Amino acid sequence: MKAESAPTRERPKILPSNPGKIGESRPRADGVPKVRGEFEYSSDLRVDGMLWGATLRSPHPHANIWSIDTAEAEDMPGVYSVLTHEDVPGRKVYGMEVPDQPVLAWEHVRYEGEPIAVVAADHPETARRALEKIAVDYEILDPITDPAEALREDTPKLHLSGNVLKEVHIKHGDVEATADVVVSGEYEVGMQDQAFLGPESGMAVPDGRGGVDLFISTQWLHIDRDQIAESLDLPPEDVRLTLSGVGGAFGGREDLSMQIHSCMLALDAGRPVKMMYNREESFYGHVHRHPCKMEYEHGADREGNLVYVKARLVFDGGAYASSSNAVCLNAGTFACGPYDVPNARIDSYMLYTNNPPCGAMRGFGAVQVCFAHETQMDKLANKLGMNPVELRLKNAMKPGDKFPFGQTVPEPAPVAEILERVENMPMPEEEEIIGRDLRRLPGGVSNVTRGEGVKRGVGYAVGYKNIGFSAGFDDYSTASIALSVEDGEPIIYVHTAAAEVGQGGVTLQAQISRTELGVENVAVLPADTRIGSAGSTSASRQSYVTGGAVKMACEAVRGKVFERVREEFGDEFGGELSMEDGSVLAGNRRIVALAELLENGGIEETVVYRHKPTYPLDENGQGDAHFQFAFAAHRAVVEVDEELGLVRVVEIATAQDVGKIMNPQSLEGQIQGGVAQGLGLALLEEIQMKDGKVQNASFTDYLLPTILDMPPVRMEVLELADPDSPYGLKGVGEPPTISSTPAIVAALRDATGRELNRVPVKPEQLAGIEGEPIRRAPQPGSRGPVADDLGSEA
Amino acid sequence: MRQRLAGHSVPFLPPGMVSGFEFQEKHMFGDRQFAEGRMFAFPSHYLKGDGFMDAEITLRVDGEEHRLTVDTRTTILDALRESIGNTSPKKGCDHGQCGACTVLLDGRRVNSCLTLAVAHDGAEVTTSEGLSENGELHPMHRSFMEHDAFQCGYCTPGQIVSAVGMLDEVEAGWTSHATEDGENVSLSDEEIRERMSGNLCRCAAYANMLPAIKEVSDR
Amino acid sequence: MKPYRYERAEDISGAISALADEPEGAFLGGGTNIVDLMKLGVSTPDVLVDVRRLMSDDIEETEDGGVRIGAAVPNSDLAADPTIRTRYPALSEALLSGASGQLRNMATTGGNFLQRTRCVYFQDTTTPCNKREPGSGCSALDGYNKNHAILGSSEHCVATHPSDMAVAMAALDAFVVTHGPNGERRIPIEELHRLPGDEPERDTILEHGELITAVELPPMGFSSNSKYRKVRERASYAFALVSVAAAMDVEDGVVRDVRVALGGVAHKPWRATKVEEALRGEPVSEENFRAAAEIELSEAEPLSENAYKVPLARNVMVRTLSDLSGEGR
Repeated sequence: MKAESAPTRERPKILPSNPGKIGESRPRADGVPKVRGEFEYSSDLRVDGMLWGATLRSPHPHANIWSIDTAEAEDMPGVYSVLTHEDVPGRKVYGMEVPDQPVLAWEHVRYEGEPIAVVAADHPETARRALEKIAVDYEILDPITDPAEALREDTPKLHLSGNVLKEVHIKHGDVEATADVVVSGEYEVGMQDQAFLGPESGMAVPDGRGGVDLFISTQWLHIDRDQIAESLDLPPEDVRLTLSGVGGAFGGREDLSMQIHSCMLALDAGRPVKMMYNREESFYGHVHRHPCKMEYEHGADREGNLVYVKARLVFDGGAYASSSNAVCLNAGTFACGPYDVPNARIDSYMLYTNNPPCGAMRGFGAVQVCFAHETQMDKLANKLGMNPVELRLKNAMKPGDKFPFGQTVPEPAPVAEILERVENMPMPEEEEIIGRDLRRLPGGVSNVTRGEGVKRGVGYAVGYKNIGFSAGFDDYSTASIALSVEDGEPIIYVHTAAAEVGQGGVTLQAQISRTELGVENVAVLPADTRIGSAGSTSASRQSYVTGGAVKMACEAVRGKVFERVREEFGDEFGGELSMEDGSVLAGNRRIVALAELLENGGIEETVVYRHKPTYPLDENGQGDAHFQFAFAAHRAVVEVDEELGLVRVVEIATAQDVGKIMNPQSLEGQIQGGVAQGLGLALLEEIQMKDGKVQNASFTDYLLPTILDMPPVRMEVLELADPDSPYGLKGVGEPPTISSTPAIVAALRDATGRELNRVPVKPEQLAGIEGEPIRRAPQPGSRGPVADDLGSEA
Repeated sequence: MRQRLAGHSVPFLPPGMVSGFEFQEKHMFGDRQFAEGRMFAFPSHYLKGDGFMDAEITLRVDGEEHRLTVDTRTTILDALRESIGNTSPKKGCDHGQCGACTVLLDGRRVNSCLTLAVAHDGAEVTTSEGLSENGELHPMHRSFMEHDAFQCGYCTPGQIVSAVGMLDEVEAGWTSHATEDGENVSLSDEEIRERMSGNLCRCAAYANMLPAIKEVSDR
Repeated sequence: MKPYRYERAEDISGAISALADEPEGAFLGGGTNIVDLMKLGVSTPDVLVDVRRLMSDDIEETEDGGVRIGAAVPNSDLAADPTIRTRYPALSEALLSGASGQLRNMATTGGNFLQRTRCVYFQDTTTPCNKREPGSGCSALDGYNKNHAILGSSEHCVATHPSDMAVAMAALDAFVVTHGPNGERRIPIEELHRLPGDEPERDTILEHGELITAVELPPMGFSSNSKYRKVRERASYAFALVSVAAAMDVEDGVVRDVRVALGGVAHKPWRATKVEEALRGEPVSEENFRAAAEIELSEAEPLSENAYKVPLARNVMVRTLSDLSGEGR
């Protein structure tokens, strides 16, 4: 498939129709309610008599709590429930991997925005006011905000286990190897936010028998359920979750936000409780992408063959563990990039600090290191006097090579091919800068430039990442397929717990079912916990794992259909049995219509699908940790106004191996979306921290790319089948985010000649006008203490 | 199959309604029992004592007139979502920074989150839901579907209303910051992008919105 | 949001008297800024007097050849007006470079002048801020201040004024017409907004209950040769890091007259009078523009994070002036 931005292909004409079979572009199964606004996100839920929940959060990044007084809040009319840590019935902490995060804080708060108490009232405003009536006696402590400081022996420990949450050390080949040509550098990635448009929300409904139903936007129903049940001290079957509409996720909904809180309130008040964060609270309500500082050294021979890579990665994990362990591991394993590196020494550290907890975001550890290793490759090429693409091609990993973590590079690993493809794609037309349509100059259409001082630059990057959950994790999905007849027509019901977060999973499930069973009518049921886990909608894994489960369940149903056919019609057909157009065929001959075959009862099969096992790394960081790898390369063309620091990304070109195109339109959407988030990290997006406090929790101060910032994306997609995966497919959601950032920054360097070792890149860096501040005498009391008892909107 | 689904919280339509796409659209998501005809108004009794102010207003929403008693603080967005039960416009930021709440107010696109209901007594409000006529999708709805101009869909009703309002502005000859000096307004890609930049999409379905909007404007 | 009473007056004098006895009351125009600030708890009026429908939404040419703009004219209508576009292009460009289509449809001309700062500490009621809570301190001085002022700030406040429109109005010598308890007055834009000094809580010289009812653009022979240029991190829908509005009268390669105002650098639209003085009668050249800009910026006092604004402001001024003089193409 070749595509240049949009529109590139005949768009399917629709309505109403169905999402087709695999390989086809069809309108989304959930499209009509989404465009009309009738699709119900968790924030849209309502029920008679429901209460509104609200959360009291710490205004301090680090403090002791001496007391929490809720009496006044409880006495307010309209307030039904006020709960603190004392009211948590079961385990008082939660966490996906390491349960270290208090459901509600006691004794300590470790980050600004940490929940301390929750309230349910009959009006959101009453709930908010009740929070203001809760008196918390804090002893403010100095926050530890620098991971390097947290790492030092003499720094106070934020957790009993110490400040080092995780360390991964990879020793590969001769860790003392030396080389003729050496480049080194220090790199930094800022704290990016997932910034999904639909803030956290959910509604908990008590069942009157001690259990609770939760309607929630999340990425993984079952891990939520298990953590909730643990903290509510209920058996898992008494906590039932149903997926509500999810307004984007990108990793930020993998951890709990108000799940336990809303259930506690609903059970305590005996009424449904809805919670809905506002945008500011959302910035405190979910984890962010880890900021990271990285020291790298690359050694190569004079021909440009890599001899060794040494890297030291220091991640800021923030106050609690979230999925930081896995991020630390991922970053360590991918720290060298998709190159054949004979010797490597990687030390990856994840630190606790008093900054906001960091966790999953699209790219998951691979993003940070890709920025560093790709910058290093450019530096090395420069030092060797080589073309940067040529250097990469020379060192590109191939199937059969060893990853630095000891695993053998599997087929297919088309690193060289995708690089060659992006290099060979036509360049965007180079318009004369002076006299050009002003709208196509840097700065968008604000036209501050007339083209003077505008320089064009081109940059390349390639990256890779694992798909799915790794290092020994039991990663699986469950699917149930029911084939029955209704009104004389066969229909497939698909049931999984996989979260549709916008990626198109429900459309794909319908496509797979239709393809496998040859039945037109498919209904994908709401995802809930009545069926087994589907795992998380993250790590680009659902098409593979839940797609695999749906395919496998369809195969099981098909097997049963054929059994029934044989029972009724014998087994002498003179041809393979197949299912098509609602019938069972033998060769081209129609044996029986499903409507007839299933008249007296449908067939239902539930299966659990697992990909091949993975293994933890040993003490030298060696092991078959990952089961699939996805590769993408990017070429960015930018224009920079050197005096004003304004940037126009002219075009992104990308080549990516996806194994098998399941739905071309959805695939393009994933690539576009991933590139946009990579562009955001390169140029715009960073949560600004000062002394452990978020400074820019709004969309005026945290800038997301608009439609005007997004360049055309030229894409080539390779279909090199993975022999182990369903249909040969590979996960696609994350690779576009990984190498787009370094490609853009490489292009900026090419245009300006500046170093640019930190993202996001600021205009003043590009223009070289960072300048010197004039120091004023600090004003006494200018950073006075913040009032202690202020409410939720810390 | 029916038995298996007994007790499921999602009510099912009569079997006659079952057919491919349409079926899924009606069944897949959310929990309709929470949406159908259950109005939820702010209970306000307890606030009256400390200066709570109510006002009687009329809003004509998607062609239907609503008499409402609203707290003076209520925005049109909250009036739509909480008093009238129309959750088509979304609350993405509540501060005019994302565009997800865009509605047409007396024909012009605005951020309903920054618009006080009480100041617009008698106004005509159109949401994405109300762009449909006689149950038919609006051409912009269809075009967004055909071009896959959304993913999670949260910003989508706002994008669609914004695009419809924007085309009217172009029709009226309004220039944008992308219009060149002395140029007649024509809807180039740059124009559409500039004019739609008040609607954020984190999934970044932007590349598909462009042709989706263009196609409608060309008609 | 604090509860408040909503009132709609019969006419302008009614609106003014409605606020006379309400020290905590405020006027409501398009609401795009005050509603935002009320949600944040930054503005806490107990009465809102809706004046949007009381004031003119007409744009009319005056007898002296200027233009009078009703205070209720929405930003989008003003930007699209053919007279404004041809005779005062800087104003149209400034309006269109601000906010989004949706916000411009709501925001009024009068209200645009009275936008309050986007300083993050002003907007966050949990932090000290002298503008929001006089005497509490300035968090920005040693805080997140990359968007803050480099000119005319004080130890009490380093906030910037966020309006694009007002910067163009300052360069175009506009006046606001106000009605208040003490009658009508006509205030040059330069005098409307204040520097923070030791009273940063006051953005303008307007008295309580004084209402902007119209804006007058005087005739300016060379206003059709005017531009607004804005540098921002995002290509649209973002506040200015630095912006410049300028108009220039050039004849035979000599600057006969010039107006320059800067945005994003001070507590008010910053009229760059030193640039103007330095350039009048001087030959058009990039060196002259640069030298003039540097005179203006010689008094800049950047903070820990915004020193970049000094060279940036210089560069944008040079660009814009070169462009207007015909040198830039």
